[in-house]
Amino acid sequence: MKTAFINNTSHEIHEGETILEFVRRVEEDEHVIPTMCQDNRLENFGSCRICSVEIARDENGDKKTVASCHTPISEGLYVYPHTHKIHRLRKNIVELVLTDYPEDKVFPENGKKATPFQQTIQQIGIPNVRYPEGANHLDIDKDTAHPYIKSDLSQCINCYRCVRACEEIQGEMVLGMSGRGFATNIIKGFGESFDTSACVSCGACVQTCPTEALTDKFKTKTLLPDSITRTTCTYCGVGCQLEVSVIDGEIKGIQAPETAEVNEGHTCLKGRFAFEFYNHPERLREPMIKRNGTFEEVTWEEAYDYIATKIKSIKQEHGPDAIGGFSSSRATNEENYLMQKMMRVAIGTNNIDGCARVCHAPTAFGMQKAFGTGAATNSIEDLKEADAIFLFGANPLKGHPVTGAKIKQAFMKGVTSIVVDPVKTKLAKLADYHLQIRPGTNVAILNMFAYYLIGADLVDTPFILGYTEKYQEFKDHVMSLDMDALSELTGVSKGLVRDAAIAYGRAERAMEFHGLGVTEHFQGSKTVMLLSNIVMMTGNVGRTGVGLNPLRGQNNVQGAADMGVQPHQGAGYLDVNSPEIQNYYAEKYQVAAMPKKEGMKIPIMLNAAINGDLKALYIMGEDTIMTDPNTNHSIKAFENLELIVVQELFMTATCNLADVILPASSYFEKDGTFTNGERRVQRVNKVINPIGNTKPDGQIIIDMMAKLGYNQPTGLKYNASKVIEEIADVIPFMSGLTWEGLGANGLQWPINESGEGTKMLHVHGAFKKGIGTFHHFDFKESPEIESHIDEYPFILTTGRELEHYNSGTMTRRTHNQDLLSKDYLEVNPKDAIKKNINDNELVRIFSERGSVEIPVKYSKNVKRGVLRTTFHQPDVFINIITGSVGDEETLTPEYKVVAVDFEKIN
Amino acid sequence: MANKNIRALSYRKGLDDNLFENIAEVSNNKGTDTEFKELSKKYMVDDSVILGTSSFYDFTRKENRNKKIHICSGTACMVSKKQGDVINFAKANFNEDEIGHAACVGRCHTNHAFMLDNKTYSASNAESFNDILKNKSIQKNEYNVGCNTKSILTGPVVDIKSFYSLAENYRTLNEIAVNVLKTSKLRGRGGAGFPFWFKLDTVLKESADQKYIVCNADEGDPGAFSDMYLMEEQPHKVLFGMYMSGIIVGANVGVLYVRGEYPDSIRILKEAIDLIENEGYIKNFKFKIIEGQGSYVCGEETALLNSIEGLRPEVRVRPPYPAQYGLYGKPTVLSNVETFANVHWILENSGATYAKLGTDASTGTKLVSLDGRFNAPGIYEIEMGTNLNTIFNEFGKGFVEPIKGFQIGGPLGGIVPLSKVDALTLDFESFSSNSFLLGHASVVSIPASFPMIKFLEHLMEFTALESCGKCYPCRIGSQRGFEMLQKAQETHFLIDKNLFNDLLETLEIGSLCALGGGVPLPMKNALHYFEDELKSYFN
Repeated sequence: MKTAFINNTSHEIHEGETILEFVRRVEEDEHVIPTMCQDNRLENFGSCRICSVEIARDENGDKKTVASCHTPISEGLYVYPHTHKIHRLRKNIVELVLTDYPEDKVFPENGKKATPFQQTIQQIGIPNVRYPEGANHLDIDKDTAHPYIKSDLSQCINCYRCVRACEEIQGEMVLGMSGRGFATNIIKGFGESFDTSACVSCGACVQTCPTEALTDKFKTKTLLPDSITRTTCTYCGVGCQLEVSVIDGEIKGIQAPETAEVNEGHTCLKGRFAFEFYNHPERLREPMIKRNGTFEEVTWEEAYDYIATKIKSIKQEHGPDAIGGFSSSRATNEENYLMQKMMRVAIGTNNIDGCARVCHAPTAFGMQKAFGTGAATNSIEDLKEADAIFLFGANPLKGHPVTGAKIKQAFMKGVTSIVVDPVKTKLAKLADYHLQIRPGTNVAILNMFAYYLIGADLVDTPFILGYTEKYQEFKDHVMSLDMDALSELTGVSKGLVRDAAIAYGRAERAMEFHGLGVTEHFQGSKTVMLLSNIVMMTGNVGRTGVGLNPLRGQNNVQGAADMGVQPHQGAGYLDVNSPEIQNYYAEKYQVAAMPKKEGMKIPIMLNAAINGDLKALYIMGEDTIMTDPNTNHSIKAFENLELIVVQELFMTATCNLADVILPASSYFEKDGTFTNGERRVQRVNKVINPIGNTKPDGQIIIDMMAKLGYNQPTGLKYNASKVIEEIADVIPFMSGLTWEGLGANGLQWPINESGEGTKMLHVHGAFKKGIGTFHHFDFKESPEIESHIDEYPFILTTGRELEHYNSGTMTRRTHNQDLLSKDYLEVNPKDAIKKNINDNELVRIFSERGSVEIPVKYSKNVKRGVLRTTFHQPDVFINIITGSVGDEETLTPEYKVVAVDFEKIN
Repeated sequence: MANKNIRALSYRKGLDDNLFENIAEVSNNKGTDTEFKELSKKYMVDDSVILGTSSFYDFTRKENRNKKIHICSGTACMVSKKQGDVINFAKANFNEDEIGHAACVGRCHTNHAFMLDNKTYSASNAESFNDILKNKSIQKNEYNVGCNTKSILTGPVVDIKSFYSLAENYRTLNEIAVNVLKTSKLRGRGGAGFPFWFKLDTVLKESADQKYIVCNADEGDPGAFSDMYLMEEQPHKVLFGMYMSGIIVGANVGVLYVRGEYPDSIRILKEAIDLIENEGYIKNFKFKIIEGQGSYVCGEETALLNSIEGLRPEVRVRPPYPAQYGLYGKPTVLSNVETFANVHWILENSGATYAKLGTDASTGTKLVSLDGRFNAPGIYEIEMGTNLNTIFNEFGKGFVEPIKGFQIGGPLGGIVPLSKVDALTLDFESFSSNSFLLGHASVVSIPASFPMIKFLEHLMEFTALESCGKCYPCRIGSQRGFEMLQKAQETHFLIDKNLFNDLLETLEIGSLCALGGGVPLPMKNALHYFEDELKSYFN
């Protein structure tokens, strides 16, 4: 055992530890040595020197002063953290700092928490400033233009923490330092304000700033809250842990806890700042029934009775399969579980589907076919081990900002990086290889990729032979393809694909991530299966730092599917068509029988509504009208229904068409769990009481089930931990799941009987389905292109922006809307100029389905012939023009390929 | 280690299309904001990186971009009291805002120094100044050169081709070469005196796809011009040392970071490099000259590495040392011009022969720069261990005016009173045991008529101006020290002695690098040896 000394007492040292870490660990006190510039999340920097200690080689030997934060501890070293000399040094440094720091900010304001700087100087002892007045920065202008982030650099102590956080946590370099010596100053971009700079508003700088030089508009760091509640963010599949401060029942600010395994003290502008929607004046607060075309507020009882009566009568007249349910990936696991249970048990139909249908259903389907499990094989933390990253059809900087920032940093630091995307995203620009394909040619590019892997003999034959089947068929197929033709088709040169494939093949640990650019296609499921082929043929599965990792879109889209929000599989992915399984569920749910017939997927349900086969829709938290493609088709379907029930936070486009609206509580107002994109089940803890007369979705479903004649065995009051007990009993791979067992950082499923989670699936070739299966496919042009490209020669592809979350129901009701208030149509300048259209000009974009108006943004990030836009803003309503083509297997809509044209508005 | 992302992005274009050179070029051409922002895009960094770097250096920051003439403000020129003349000459020909300053242009022997049109000059009268303005022709920097022992550094290179061919003998014997250098006990000549072989040995043992040799030719110490001498008069000795080091450790690139105030050195080195590359005297090795943009702290090795990378030249934390994590984070042999210049002689004559010269701990010779207050200013190659008085008398030949002391070893070197000169010998140990610093062995004489308080103010101001601004003691402390020393001369203000001592201690033990950490030494020497002169400024 190696040891070193603190004040002449011997203690064990750990490999790679700094003196600061050593002393903190031994003394079990994070503040035992005062610090200013140090932050556990940042590289050690050594600017403030406050953490200096004396060291000696021998007991009472010659002492030397070193900064403990960046000096490694070494065997036999004597550390003296608190000598007179050191105390004097610290106080003298503080005195220097105070010569350029506002006098009235030395002590905390009344009713405010001390800043870390104020705490540190208190700890050291606040000296009298003996220096005569000299140069200072006390008159520096404040920057208050940004909706969230403010700076008052008169309080800046030049610790560089914000600058380092910007680079080292978020992977941006918006904050910097200018000048030198005493004249150094924090700058944003090219010396501008936060508002006009390239700031991504993540707030990492604000959180790390030890003074109030950087604050958010909520002054979160100096709040003295009544309570701080840890919960899980609702804004994407990363699953950031948040700490929410509450005063007098109102949310006052959010910070990211350093102890969070997922986000390690970081989060994005949505998680950190976009919470003000929760008590927005437009929140639905009372149940409503539409009578004579207008909504009237009613009591819950009245609403429930109205719905129950209608459902019962429809069921009686048309059978249970005339009723369908859409569940929500924003709701908790428990609520999704209850929702599918209501449909299957209380109503008696498998017509339950969710928004995975419009996003990652092909991932689940394709990966189940290849590996046996439709979920990410690895964990995000594996990024640290990967030496290559293959990013396919995803822009995590926008959609999954915290994971995106990690990927971006890996790219910058020089990991082998390959991006397949029709759009030249920031990550694509940073990547070693950007395969800028024509939208819709994923299968073609992957066949090319495999061809060159085989050609360069970069396949892992022992892995293929040992753990997989049908490789030879795949190989024969791929090798028979004409690369020139595929290159022509994809628009990517053979050389580039070959080089990228070789780089991927040569990597020791290549990690794949993909997003909706893979799934929202006619050949979406096939693309997933081909991606599975790529990782299998190179042995990039079943180890750390590798794998096939879908970036799940919504916070709980993984969980919703796990809970059985699918027409063909119940809770835990068991096949509802199997009599054995039907008996299993019947027994678990203590009912006589389960529905026998597989249910309808969302697009089928909509068609059934138009045909008159579906009579009622019960929707929990989805704005189907705005988010599903071909809006006019959806409206037609809705208008044909006898009953539409919507549980919602706000009056959405879907609500407008409803018969009954049930006001739901937001995620701040309830308990439950979300499962993130790496299968991590994490707790959602109630932060405040439900707003107005709202109820958590789980409570509404339990009430509804009771009205429909089924009493939820866990009790008539929604209790997440009790529902979890039931889920653990029903879902085999969650048998060890308990509310308490989840702890602060959750568990990744499978969760075994003893409550242990799983970081990695299919370890060392042990595929869930026994053996990994190769599939092979030819590229097939989407019917959208086949039928419409002649008339509508541009391909529109849709995506997300950082500031908004899908249809923007929540984010548009926060100051994020001030940061980005419009959807834009990105057009290659050459295409725009040819049509005599200016930058920012409003144009009409149209397809076979309809037309909308949208402003143009010149962008060289799209090739000629390709257009890109977002779908956040209802004033554009882009889905009016998107089409009805879906994935061949799962019917997931092809949002990424829409044949359109656009024109000047005269 | 901070800035790994920016460093990695800069590495993508590396030395071939170097970020720092691009920033300097845009600045020097008075580039528009748009041009700077284009650079951000090209290197895929944000604008703050480009502005952060360009605002750091004297020659690239916006407020200095229209300067046409830079008048030397170095210590040797200051004590010579000749710079007032140059300022007057300049004012007669330039607008006030076109006149800038340079902290030493290496004309410490003649003074009257300035930089114009990327050349340095001395002009002692208006006529010669006007003549320079008109012709802008190169003015050869001439000074005395002498040697009291084997002329390792000052002897001529007779046949350049055969000079370089020595390297071939060691191509496969790199460990033996390290041993020869170990036997020689050659220590780094930049000031710190770190055993040179150890750096080679460390980098040799590192495994990396890329390694570098970096020559610290940022001779920023006002009063020192010995590296300038080597670059201009003995460039092949320097280049050979780097080339040989590259062969030893397996590096194929050598970077010379030469201060921008030495434009002649840069021109001469370029010619020398062209020659050996074109003639094929060196194999599988490329040289790259990076031109400094006016910053003293870049002489600090880690700031220098950041500077080459185009980052702000802020001092890095150590460990990791440059031998492990150097230029672009790659293992790097980084040493001073003079250190490299010794390598050829050692390998040719054996380490033991070299070690016989000098003292046991300080072997070999050292170049000494004597300033213009000596009767015979110049560069002298002196065997380590030689008495200082001997050097001053035999080589310097006494003084042009009465002298009360010397600052030896640069602005962070000690202030040696005249009375102590005889007690010192030219080696690391003699200086440190007497609480002085050999440093780079530059000698600036302090005339009896020059107020010591003003000298101290100059040193503190220099530190404040040149501080990188990263660590608190140096950034704030040097500014406050400067303000107090200035105020004490202008008003009846008395400096609180306890406060000043606290400040010196804070700087000395608290600073991140030798800049803030070093300035207390001359202060303390002065307070000790010139107490009578200074006491009226303190309470």
